[in-house]
Amino acid sequence: MTDEITKEIFDYLVDLGALEIGEQEGEYLRSELNGQLRAIHELEGIAIDDDIRTTSHGIPYSRVIRAPLREDRIEPCKESDEILAQAADVFERYIVVPDIPSEELE
Amino acid sequence: MSEELCDLSATEISRRVKNGEVTAEEVLDSTLQRIRLVEGRRPSTNPYSPEGDDRNKVHAYISLTEKRARLQARAIDDAVKAGEDPGPLAGVTLAVKDIFCVHGTPTTAGSKILENFISPYSATSVQRLESAGAITVGKVNLDEFTFGSSNESSAFLPPVGNPWDPSRVPGGSSGGSAAAVAAGEAVLSLGTDTAGSIRQPAAFCGVVGIKPTYGRVSRYGLIAFASSIDCPGPIARNVTDAAIALQIMAGSDPFDATAAALSVPDYFSTIEKGIKGMRIGISPDYHKLKFPDPKTGEMCEQSVDEEIAEALSRVLDHLTNAGAEIVENVAMPNTRYGVPAYFVISRVEAASNLHRYDGVKYGYRFDGEVSNLRELYRKTRAHGFGSQAKLRILMGMYVSAEQYEKGYYQRALKIRTLIRNDFVNAFNPEGPYQLDCLLSATTPTTAFKIGAIYGNSVSMQYADLLTVPANHAGIPGLSVPAGVDNAGLPIGIQFLGPDFSEANLLRIGRSYEKASADEPWRRLQPKVLHA
Amino acid sequence: MPEYESVIGLETHIQLNTRSKIFCGCKADSWEDDPNVNICPICAGLPGVLPTLNKSVVEKAVLLALAVQADNILPISYLARKNYFYPDLPKGYQISQYAEPLARGGRLIIPSADGEDRVVNIEKLHIEEDAGKTVHQNGKRLIDFNRCGVPLVEMVTAPDIRSADDAAAYLIQLRRLLRWLGISEADMERGQLRCDANVSIRILGEDSLNTKTEIKNINSIENVRAAIKTEVKRQIQTVEAGQTIEAWTLGWDEDTETLRKMRSKETEADYRYFREPDLLPIRIDEEWLLEIKSSLPELPLARQKRFTLDYGLPDYDAAILTEERSLSSYFEATVKLSAGDPKTISNWVMNDVLRLIKEKKISAGGLRLIPKYLAEIIEIVESGMITRGTGKELLVNVEDKGKTPLELVELEGLAQVSDEETLKSMAMTIVDQNPKQVATYKAGKATILGWFVGQLMRATKGRADAKIVQSIFQELLDNDGDLGS
Repeated sequence: MTDEITKEIFDYLVDLGALEIGEQEGEYLRSELNGQLRAIHELEGIAIDDDIRTTSHGIPYSRVIRAPLREDRIEPCKESDEILAQAADVFERYIVVPDIPSEELE
Repeated sequence: MSEELCDLSATEISRRVKNGEVTAEEVLDSTLQRIRLVEGRRPSTNPYSPEGDDRNKVHAYISLTEKRARLQARAIDDAVKAGEDPGPLAGVTLAVKDIFCVHGTPTTAGSKILENFISPYSATSVQRLESAGAITVGKVNLDEFTFGSSNESSAFLPPVGNPWDPSRVPGGSSGGSAAAVAAGEAVLSLGTDTAGSIRQPAAFCGVVGIKPTYGRVSRYGLIAFASSIDCPGPIARNVTDAAIALQIMAGSDPFDATAAALSVPDYFSTIEKGIKGMRIGISPDYHKLKFPDPKTGEMCEQSVDEEIAEALSRVLDHLTNAGAEIVENVAMPNTRYGVPAYFVISRVEAASNLHRYDGVKYGYRFDGEVSNLRELYRKTRAHGFGSQAKLRILMGMYVSAEQYEKGYYQRALKIRTLIRNDFVNAFNPEGPYQLDCLLSATTPTTAFKIGAIYGNSVSMQYADLLTVPANHAGIPGLSVPAGVDNAGLPIGIQFLGPDFSEANLLRIGRSYEKASADEPWRRLQPKVLHA
Repeated sequence: MPEYESVIGLETHIQLNTRSKIFCGCKADSWEDDPNVNICPICAGLPGVLPTLNKSVVEKAVLLALAVQADNILPISYLARKNYFYPDLPKGYQISQYAEPLARGGRLIIPSADGEDRVVNIEKLHIEEDAGKTVHQNGKRLIDFNRCGVPLVEMVTAPDIRSADDAAAYLIQLRRLLRWLGISEADMERGQLRCDANVSIRILGEDSLNTKTEIKNINSIENVRAAIKTEVKRQIQTVEAGQTIEAWTLGWDEDTETLRKMRSKETEADYRYFREPDLLPIRIDEEWLLEIKSSLPELPLARQKRFTLDYGLPDYDAAILTEERSLSSYFEATVKLSAGDPKTISNWVMNDVLRLIKEKKISAGGLRLIPKYLAEIIEIVESGMITRGTGKELLVNVEDKGKTPLELVELEGLAQVSDEETLKSMAMTIVDQNPKQVATYKAGKATILGWFVGQLMRATKGRADAKIVQSIFQELLDNDGDLGS
């Protein structure tokens, strides 16, 4: 059986996912993906009537169970320092990141 | 082993703590004592190979929050002394699946990428259980980001061992939760169920687990896997304890727009009322199972394990004797599509949910030289994520990237509707079956050996094929123990009901529990307690 | 060389002026705050958090949709995730709308300098969350999440704009509308109104759409005009040189007034949009829509037109008076309280009131000189009780002191000296005391009459009618100081 996810497609997916994957791990992952895809293809044979809807969730959010939208009120958060403390590199309350690549300027 | 405080039910513990018979601190100490006895070495992200008695221990906890727990316990004891109400879960020890944020504690999701993350806030469920008097003992292990059905994909190893046979998996992804509760390392646990992650480990470990209706319990603070199907729920040693925990967790939440604005019924007003006249269905589609052969990938058909089928028929006898009407041959034709549809929907959502782990704001950041931001992302994510996370990211990308997606996602969503329609039809009060619930085995097999399936992501996913349809449909499911197999491994069965029918499911589960109270397997204890 | 025309579409991002952010309770406005103070687990994208939609964001966006006469305000629209990695985007996806935006269709009319109104069609309008800010400082790239989750409306026009000037006019019109509706401060310098321009050219008379370039994040109306002009010129030169236009993304450098090519545009497919499972669909039922509709004010162009019809104002006046909603209401309230001529009132508002507003940096609605007082001032000027000049001073005084005009007239004795006998006797005294000037007049230098008038005006502190005073002096001097009888 030919692999649906070829090496080239795999590399593209790795890039899209902001990953970096070595040769050996890549081959394993790719074969697993192709195995999963074979299972997914089982779905293609199913007849789906036009009136079958897509829904965001399994249960219907009828009027009675829908939560109202949030009122526009400020609720200050006291934990901003704790949040900032989780970042690996902070400078004067800013989070620091390395430079951003590939801005070709003319 | 004689029964310790930590082995008592939640109702019994809170009763005793409230009336001053025991202190919350004594319950905590008893729990910590049990943990020392059965736990073995603490899982870590260091390179792992089994050694010593690793395969005889549980390894459920990634972190213990003893100090915090002791403060909570003392506050409860102080409240009791001051004549205040310490809450319905007073002194009940709680193991929180490490996928929930708990303020001030390490919250790892079983992943290296969150190894050093200390949460600045608490999940709604945790906060509600703690407010009710529960004492969080620690955070328990899971499959990385809940991605698995065996707990083996955690970055924190040794993997969790099943208390009934620690060379076997506890199930997953809430394996640490189920194992901890089974072994008396906590009275209750908070788990999550995206494809069966509460019910399957509950079945493997001989405990009770309920996956509530989607929207019944707030997801706020639950680190997301597949947002449209993730469900928090309790794991307990009996149905009543599960009901107490759910009663407290359930209900609307201003922090979760998908939490239903529906009042929570009093589960205790009905739980003991029996099941006379209830219609309970069984379906051949939950007995004859279709799944890909692990070697060839070709679809093959196999029935659930014979011993599990036998257990199920004993359950039916009990239910019949208790006055229920059994409806056979309920058609659930789309059951077999649950796993493939899940492969698509959950991956698209998971890939997106994992975007935020980039080394910038929290958690692991690659500490070697990088020349630019993109490289920081790649290296951080490459080193921070395990292979199951990577698989979910890559499949999510494939089935949603425009040049490849071929309508996979939209089709899978429609199949979700078909799966739901099976249930709607089965439960329809004017339909052909008019069921109060559908009964099936929770899992096709009992707990498998550590290492037996892990690595084959397709076979591992098919371990969920009996549980995942309820997740697609959004409906609730309760798994309860229903015996052991010849190897002494627990067997679980599940009751699936219509939207928001938790009260009924708990009532049916409790009824079965009472009817089967005299069965000999009820007196068995997990092997790890006799080691 | 053939004649070219430019084909321009604008994509604007409008910061709504809600109190809290779109998906959490953090304060939305961080203009004067330190970095990373208005953040919480939700907008900082911590693991496990969920968004909850701010009701006011939907209401303000719908109000805008109504104001641009949207063809279709969707009864059910969806939020969607736009997935991409960027450090100012803490979740790694932006919650936006995609296939089902809040509203589709609509139009904004731009009154044009040549007198011919132009219609710019709106393709769609949707809500989304803003990203954080990136700052470069001492060779470091610094991220501030304060702006994460500030509500935005994205409004996209059809390629209907034909010149840089019209693009600028569109933005001016949009800014006027946003402030009028009270849904955004719309200050481009503060990023409350941001604009990307899609620019292409074609030979005049053709109606094909050619490859376009996108100019990103232009931060003032003047820069929009300049950037588009520059780009159109570049495209014409490129085509004339026999080269093809490439679909570049460009940035405008306002210091050097040049365009720079930015990183190659990502294709939309890479965003992998899908419906946001953490939020329910946005449902705008008939009842809610009616409620929002009822808060829709008369719009600026309609009011402008009505002012010309109802009050006979010149178009110029009507345009200035309806530049801002509060001013237009102020004018109209004054007209309704006054028996006077609307044009006279318009003059007072456009000159004196507007100056006051600018000096005090407040809106017309915030003046202590309420329409009733202005009407009173105009009335006592018109009736001759006080002079025009006194009226102008009185207006400032009312604003400064917060007293009614009549109180101040009384208190400071500002009423005009209109009793002719009094004026005559004062004039005779001046003539008597200044024989030298009288002689000059007699010698034929009639212009010195003005000097006499000035003396009397000074004596009355300007409270006399200069015309009457002049005729008194003329009679006195021509008749040798004898006023006859």
